[in-house]
Amino acid sequence: MMDLIQTLGSGVLVGLVYALLGLCIVIIYKASEAFNFAIGEFLVIGSFLFYVLFFDENLPLDKALPLGILIFLLLSFILFFDQNLRLLLAIFFGLVAGSIIFYVLFFGLSLPSLIASPILRFLIALPLGLVAAGIVGAIVERLTIKPLLGRSPISMTIVSLGLAFLLRASVQLIFGSHSYSFFLDLPDITLEIRDFLFLSDPIWAGILSIATFGLIIVFLFRTRWGLAIRATSEDQAKAMAFGINARFILLIIWAMSSVSIAVAGIMISNFGALSSLSGIVGLRALPVVLIGGMDSIGGALVGGIIVGMCEALAGAYIEPMGLIGFKDVAPYILLLIVLFIRPYGLFGTVRIERV
Amino acid sequence: MKKRGIFVLSFILALVLLGNSPVSAKEIKVLSQFPMSGPVGTLPEFGWGYIDGMNWVNSEGGGVNGKKITWYLEDFRYNPTVEVATFNRYCAEHSEDEFLMATGYITGGLKPLIKKVNVEEKIPWLDGSYSTEIFGEGGGPSKYPYYYSLGATYGDQIKILMKWIKENHKAKGKPRVGFVYSPTAWGRDGTPEGIAYAKKLGFDVVAEIEYPYTATDATSQCMTLRKAKAQYIVYHGYSGATSHTAIFFKTAKKILKKAQLMGTHYTTGRFPVLVCQEAFDGYVGVATRPFSDPIPRAKAPMDNAMVKLAHDFAKKYRPEEYKKGLKGGGIKDMFLYMEGLTYALLIQEVFTRADNAGELTRLGVKKALDNMVWDYKGMFGGKTFSYKSHTIPMMQIFKAKVKMVEVGGKPVPTGGVYPITDWINTDEVKW
Repeated sequence: MMDLIQTLGSGVLVGLVYALLGLCIVIIYKASEAFNFAIGEFLVIGSFLFYVLFFDENLPLDKALPLGILIFLLLSFILFFDQNLRLLLAIFFGLVAGSIIFYVLFFGLSLPSLIASPILRFLIALPLGLVAAGIVGAIVERLTIKPLLGRSPISMTIVSLGLAFLLRASVQLIFGSHSYSFFLDLPDITLEIRDFLFLSDPIWAGILSIATFGLIIVFLFRTRWGLAIRATSEDQAKAMAFGINARFILLIIWAMSSVSIAVAGIMISNFGALSSLSGIVGLRALPVVLIGGMDSIGGALVGGIIVGMCEALAGAYIEPMGLIGFKDVAPYILLLIVLFIRPYGLFGTVRIERV
Repeated sequence: MKKRGIFVLSFILALVLLGNSPVSAKEIKVLSQFPMSGPVGTLPEFGWGYIDGMNWVNSEGGGVNGKKITWYLEDFRYNPTVEVATFNRYCAEHSEDEFLMATGYITGGLKPLIKKVNVEEKIPWLDGSYSTEIFGEGGGPSKYPYYYSLGATYGDQIKILMKWIKENHKAKGKPRVGFVYSPTAWGRDGTPEGIAYAKKLGFDVVAEIEYPYTATDATSQCMTLRKAKAQYIVYHGYSGATSHTAIFFKTAKKILKKAQLMGTHYTTGRFPVLVCQEAFDGYVGVATRPFSDPIPRAKAPMDNAMVKLAHDFAKKYRPEEYKKGLKGGGIKDMFLYMEGLTYALLIQEVFTRADNAGELTRLGVKKALDNMVWDYKGMFGGKTFSYKSHTIPMMQIFKAKVKMVEVGGKPVPTGGVYPITDWINTDEVKW
């Protein structure tokens, strides 16, 4: 019994991170009916952005300078052609952003030398990293998703698939393929009572994931922007008729999704290390959203916890019987069972389409 | 008629002369394949060490008694299919009397090539695989006459760790050993031999856990080991550079505070110090090469002749990469560079021996390898090894010492893995 509780508890903590990943898929799906296959790559990019700030990881000139120039060009392009800003202003803002990016990547913020306390450094680096992740999400949306607005959602899904390859290759080019040590040194809140042991890192992961999840819910259900997002999610055409800028809403959603994915990525990386291959965790979001329901925010939470527990149980009780790797397969088997009984997931909206 | 005769004779003479000219002299060709990109990461260091080594061999090194080696280097991207296909292509493109040797890197490539290499082509094949199945008791020279490993088998590596436990176990009762290995051919190779040997020594084997590469956390594995009260944990079948190794060590260090973490060749080295940091401190691992690339690199001990040679080569031919280290395109781990270099030096040595014996053919190269007794340029502290078992049966046990220090206000790991035994020749070990 003790074993079971320990296993389920560990599963729930990891499951909360999966739930956050699931939420990122759900909000994009609700707004555009597209599935973001690049979730793993956004996870890696968001984690690396935080890593650069928190661990003061500098890049050599031959990588920092092209990245700065790229940001300058992309931002100027978006501001001029998309936001209709004056050319000089667009170039100015692009130049400022590009210079900041170059400075941070090449010289670093030197946070470790300025702030000795790891927790204080974390509290400064986290929002900065998340803002950077949000900007990356917004830029990617403007360049790849926005041009497809009004077209079939399947085109966006396919684009996200291509995007995944592009982003993965870009990360490997910039940061290489080797692993980066990831020790956040957050206050130790390990829970050890007799045979129960819950390590500090998974507890922090659970806490921060549920907090981010909660913040997104508050944003969606308690703010005017959230209302606009929900209206757009219900019916894009009607929302536009009521004066809601659906294009901008989509931008916010992608940025918000990138931020949340980054939180999940940072927490998962803190279990060990970060590498360009860490994005494989993004695949865990697939059974989460399909079990919970593609368009259900609550379903993402329940789905995440179910998948986390399912993995933990399979790892603790089935794999030792010789079925190695079953932990990775178990959520998909569960998914098949759920879909067989409820094709739209546990909490997904049932759609009846008459042909 | 007479004129025609003179013309024909002149023509024949010209052909004979042309045939003996250096232009058509027999070449000495060798193919090497390294994982320089792919799932194990971007590892161009293998290639750099090999390129620098082969260039040196053909210039200052004097080649093969003055003759140059035509060498080919291919990146097989850690993909056995690519390794097999490339070898097949080279066999088709190059004649048997010129293409004298090939090298590979992983067990996955060895298995599909068994017939091609050992029966059809009969070409000596040097490999980075330490497969017990291929090079151990069940395989070896009688079964695979043309396969040669560049290190001791994983089975022997784990068995040496068991011997170390036996000699160093201080606690009361039998040593309680747990095995954690990857669910791959690599992870499963050598583990059964290690378990059998542990039982033979009277140890309690309390857990056998397969920990997959896809793991995002290692809590359940570590809790199982904790419940089993494992005192020694052998972690085998993983690269020390990957995130799942960091996850395991970080978790194990917290959950299994008193257990001794141990591992085989590819988990020992510089990378785990960088990736696992303090969680790697105290690790005891076996390695078939002198791992002497601590952090910072400037503190590398130069008491080993091969290590010194590799550092000298890197400083001379790759000064920028040597200095950069982990930063953008540098030599991340000198082991990788040294490994490429050692291939080049071994190739020169064996070709020279075959040439000296007047038999620079595939069979001649095989004979030279089989009869080889060499100190590998001082790699094993002056000790020599014999290649009769088709493995280089040398290994050493290392212990990790890692400490975090503040550099510019930033905590960085320092230290490395340091030898705690002399070089062990497994051919001389009484099991």
